[in-house]
Amino acid sequence: MTHELLNGLSSDEAEQVLALGTRVIVPRETSLFRLGDPADRLFLVERGRIRLTLPMPVRGREENIFVEERNPGQAVGWSALIPPYRFTLTASAVLSETKVMALPREALLKHFAENPEAGYKIALNLAVVIGHRLQLFQTMWLREMQRTVEVRSA
Amino acid sequence: MTSPLNFKELVMRRYNMLLTGLFMVGAGAYLFRASPQLLPLWFVWLTGSFLWCVGIAVGIAGAAVPLFVPPKPVSPTRFFTDSVAKSVAMPSWQVPIDVLLLQIENHVRLEQAAAESFLAFPTHDHLHSKTPSPLVN
Repeated sequence: MTHELLNGLSSDEAEQVLALGTRVIVPRETSLFRLGDPADRLFLVERGRIRLTLPMPVRGREENIFVEERNPGQAVGWSALIPPYRFTLTASAVLSETKVMALPREALLKHFAENPEAGYKIALNLAVVIGHRLQLFQTMWLREMQRTVEVRSA
Repeated sequence: MTSPLNFKELVMRRYNMLLTGLFMVGAGAYLFRASPQLLPLWFVWLTGSFLWCVGIAVGIAGAAVPLFVPPKPVSPTRFFTDSVAKSVAMPSWQVPIDVLLLQIENHVRLEQAAAESFLAFPTHDHLHSKTPSPLVN
């Protein structure tokens, strides 16, 4: 399996990174992490799907609102590498049990320090993931703003 | 140009004016031909002439209106959308919470797809394309 975070790494380099982690099985409809939890691990989805949600009051009750889904090969929880190291979303397994590779921050940072080239490539891949998310959500935000303005102008 | 009269008003007048003009001409002709004994002759001639002149003018105007008023535009047939029944409007408080949450999720997915489409082909049209999401329509 190719992981988006390990693009451009040789198979040996990728193996070394994956060797830092441990495989975690997330049972169906179980949280992998919750909004506000300390983020000390980065996750690579290997099987199943991870659903990312944010809480929103709906009719006086707090509901987890769907934000996006992460599929095999994609990364979840990059807050582990970015201060203040707190998760900004809630992640849970959907439909079936999901398998993820959990990579501890401390081990990753140590590995990057010892292998700067691999660390550089992973940092670039992470920038692509974060940049894409940013562009996606700023587009969605603008479209929602457009609708709000149209409703108010009608 | 339909100004200063509005379009619907002119369309309504299109046939009414012609028929009114013809009726006035007919009424004038009846007065001349029948010359009812109950009416004074001066009234018959005055009224008959008036109805003829004004009736002809109104009839010409009525016949001329279709030349200046464009026909009502007919929208092209839409094979898929024309046969789709409109969703039943339901106040948001009547929608069960589970259905509402699914609608929100569907909306987010559709909006993400629209945003992905914009990022792949960043154009003004992609950015401001109308969402098909039932949540906001």
